[in-house]
Amino acid sequence: MGTPKASLAWHGLPLLGRIARLLARSVSGPVVVVRALDQALPALPRDVAVVEDAREDRGPLEGIAAGLRALPAGTRLAYVSSTDVPFLHPAFVRRVIAGAAPGIDVAVARTNGRTHPLAAAYCTSVLPTIEEQLAADLLRPAALFERVATRFLDEDDLLADPEVGLHDPRLDSVRNLNRASEYASAVAEPSPPVTVEVFGALRAAGASSPVAVRAATLGAAAAASGLALDEHVVAALNGDQISRDPAVPLVAGDRVSFMSADAGG
Amino acid sequence: MAAPPGYFGRALAVDLSEGESEPLHLPETMLRHFLGGCGLGTELLRQQAPAGVDPLAPEAPLAFVFSPLVGTPLTTSAKFAVVAKSPLSSLLNDALCSSHFAIAGKLTGNDAIIIRGSCQRPSIVVIDPDGVRIESAEQLWGLPATQAEQRLRARLGKSYRVCAIGPAGERLVRYATLSHDGRHAGRGGHGAVLGAKNLKAIAVAAHKKVATADPTAVLASAHELRQRSFGPATEKYRELGTLANLLAFNAISTLPTRNFQSATFDEARRLAAEEISELRAVTRNSCASCSIGCEHIYAVHSGESAQTARVEYENVFALGPLCGVSEADAVLEASRRCDDLGLDTISTGGTVAFAMECVERGLLAEGWLRFGDRDALLRAIDEIGSRTGLGELLAEGSRRAAIEIGQGSIAFAPQVKGLELPGYEPRALQAMALGLAVNPRGADHNRSGAYEADLSGEHDRLVGGREHVRAAIRTEDRAAVMDSLILCKFLRGVFADPYAEWAGLLGHVTGWDVDADELEQTARRIVLAKRLYNEREGWTRADDWLPERFLSDELEVASGRAASLPEGRLRAMIDEYYALRGLDERGLPSPGTLTAVGLDTASGFGEGIRVAHDRAARLDNEAPRPEPHPETVGIRSQRWPSPSQGKRKPSR
Ligand code: SF4
Repeated sequence: MGTPKASLAWHGLPLLGRIARLLARSVSGPVVVVRALDQALPALPRDVAVVEDAREDRGPLEGIAAGLRALPAGTRLAYVSSTDVPFLHPAFVRRVIAGAAPGIDVAVARTNGRTHPLAAAYCTSVLPTIEEQLAADLLRPAALFERVATRFLDEDDLLADPEVGLHDPRLDSVRNLNRASEYASAVAEPSPPVTVEVFGALRAAGASSPVAVRAATLGAAAAASGLALDEHVVAALNGDQISRDPAVPLVAGDRVSFMSADAGG
Repeated sequence: MAAPPGYFGRALAVDLSEGESEPLHLPETMLRHFLGGCGLGTELLRQQAPAGVDPLAPEAPLAFVFSPLVGTPLTTSAKFAVVAKSPLSSLLNDALCSSHFAIAGKLTGNDAIIIRGSCQRPSIVVIDPDGVRIESAEQLWGLPATQAEQRLRARLGKSYRVCAIGPAGERLVRYATLSHDGRHAGRGGHGAVLGAKNLKAIAVAAHKKVATADPTAVLASAHELRQRSFGPATEKYRELGTLANLLAFNAISTLPTRNFQSATFDEARRLAAEEISELRAVTRNSCASCSIGCEHIYAVHSGESAQTARVEYENVFALGPLCGVSEADAVLEASRRCDDLGLDTISTGGTVAFAMECVERGLLAEGWLRFGDRDALLRAIDEIGSRTGLGELLAEGSRRAAIEIGQGSIAFAPQVKGLELPGYEPRALQAMALGLAVNPRGADHNRSGAYEADLSGEHDRLVGGREHVRAAIRTEDRAAVMDSLILCKFLRGVFADPYAEWAGLLGHVTGWDVDADELEQTARRIVLAKRLYNEREGWTRADDWLPERFLSDELEVASGRAASLPEGRLRAMIDEYYALRGLDERGLPSPGTLTAVGLDTASGFGEGIRVAHDRAARLDNEAPRPEPHPETVGIRSQRWPSPSQGKRKPSR
């Protein structure tokens, strides 16, 4: 594709930036990016940690091990994602994490009979097993899944979650981009459908609210509403976190509420 | 010594019991240490109020405190603080009010007017070029504050500006307001303090001038600030007023509903500014000297006569969602009645909502008082204002009512230190949760604007931690300076470098060589001075806390995430707050902290306090017992000594 996948743009954001931010939206803990030795990365949010593969070209287990090692002590579980999944949905992430119930070491998505080791939740307790495998050059994730308590989440399991069923019915969360044609087709897809509400004095006279727009980022949603995310405007995402960062990624079903930054009074 | 520009360097103390007044010299160090408004008021209260005084006792003083910026053309500066011990919290209460009374009051030649003692019969105090006198208020007793104000101005002349109480203040409702020109020193029960003194109103007529150090610079700053006040930072206040918060807060689960049992109100849209402003004749108004004009006055469609109500987020939240009432006319009518009676809408709504929950739980037998029932809300307000029926209990506020009702109801009484919570859900705004807990005044959003940080996206508002503590301190400090200078906080968004810009304004007015660092230290001093006053009045660390409900019950926000505030988290934030403020584990300033902010005797500051305090005590001892005053009593007003005559009252 001529450009490293991490830096490929999708609706205004490099893929890595989108995925790192989407994961930050989806989990309660920190986000760790694992890169190849000396790999150049696009700009990332300040609180994203970056670590490197211990050895190059050794497949996903090497990266998973590096990521698990970088987690704060006491972390029980980590969701592991590849960077080339622009349609990843937080509801999908939460569904996979929920699959790693007590007694399960790894919960991994499996669609069309294909297992997705980079759409999976790994208990940190499997790190010694991964390290043993790496030491023995057993680099296939499938080998790990045979050695630890693994739950394979098939389509029915994933879609049983109402949020996933509603917002990611085709399970595009695992749709990755390995060929130029796949990237081109992903870029051609419209931005996700989101709902935008504009409150208070920001709402133009006579304008209706809420409205449905297509936007892949907070900045795009603001622009679609005739707003600029400057120091006078903030946005709440799904009634939860508040931000004025235009790079916050949006997904299907999101509800964005724009309000005056001078809230209160 | 001459007072610095921007000040008169003196306060007028009016003793209603003795029928006399006296000037108190305010040393320049005190003015520079505390500026004016809430800061100076705190220090004056510490000097003038006997320790442990009952807030409703005659000897409890109430101070109208002006500020160095009042009377200048600086936008939003026409404000005054009213400072007294609160009948709700029995701690410090500093409430702000606006408009012409601020200017006229200051231009009586005083930086503060302190009222103490009590009248035998309903009275008013008049301060004008002829001096100070007490007049009868028999004809005014029972009137709403606005009507009393109108009649007094008709009687005395248009140049008089009046601050008055309504019937609730006369009946000592513990959250009665004190009002001027439709604005209220609303929180904490100042109306009851004046009511206990049998004082319906104070009327002032300007007759002095106050100089500024650099009039040209003041004028230039005023012009520039005015231009900025027309910008986007104040747009919300101009366009829809603070009611613009309601729908936005509902969207982010921050709109307290049904006595804080929920943080979203299904029918919020029916009360939203965005919806109802188009359906009603809305007029805008502003305080004197204000270029923003945040007041939105709505037509009330209730009964036969045309009525209007001033609409703000706080009164709509408290009388609407908090009580489960969604009919706009009912909420506006409730707000209008509170204004007529002279009731703080936040405490009224909070206390009524608490009682509604008590009924719901079977703890009160008044089955008529149900969430969502508009008629019940209006009846409850009337009963509170008249102290009849259930109103006798509810007039005491939710904390005292909960103590009376017992059965664990204190866990859901929506108050901190006795003051009912404003419209910010603490579980969903955790910097604000800390701000509400540690605020010297109780649960208040004006002295602690930590919600600003929660709503800015600078931290996770649902998980309080160190950043939240720093944000709470930052907003508390800024409020301390703005409320003492005084500038309206709705202007806060226009300052890019607030302390430096405020120091510039203060320097132009006073001639002081003041900088941002000095003002930041002043902010810390004022916050700590409030804490010291409260400690003297019986405050302990246990008072810096939130009601049990907020610590034990989770809320779910729209995203599905739980908003909870475990006890340990709140305790950790309070510990961190104490540490960063230089307080010990009891929440009191260490000697080093006192020295650092100039609240120690070594700074020379303590001496000034003692002199004034001794003097006040001596006057009490010398005073003859009061006699019932006739219809109009000329107060034995002392002629002002010129500054060179010193501080002492001439001997009688
Ligand atoms: S902004 Fe509103 S409250 Fe502030 S001074 Fe102006 S009119 Fe008064």
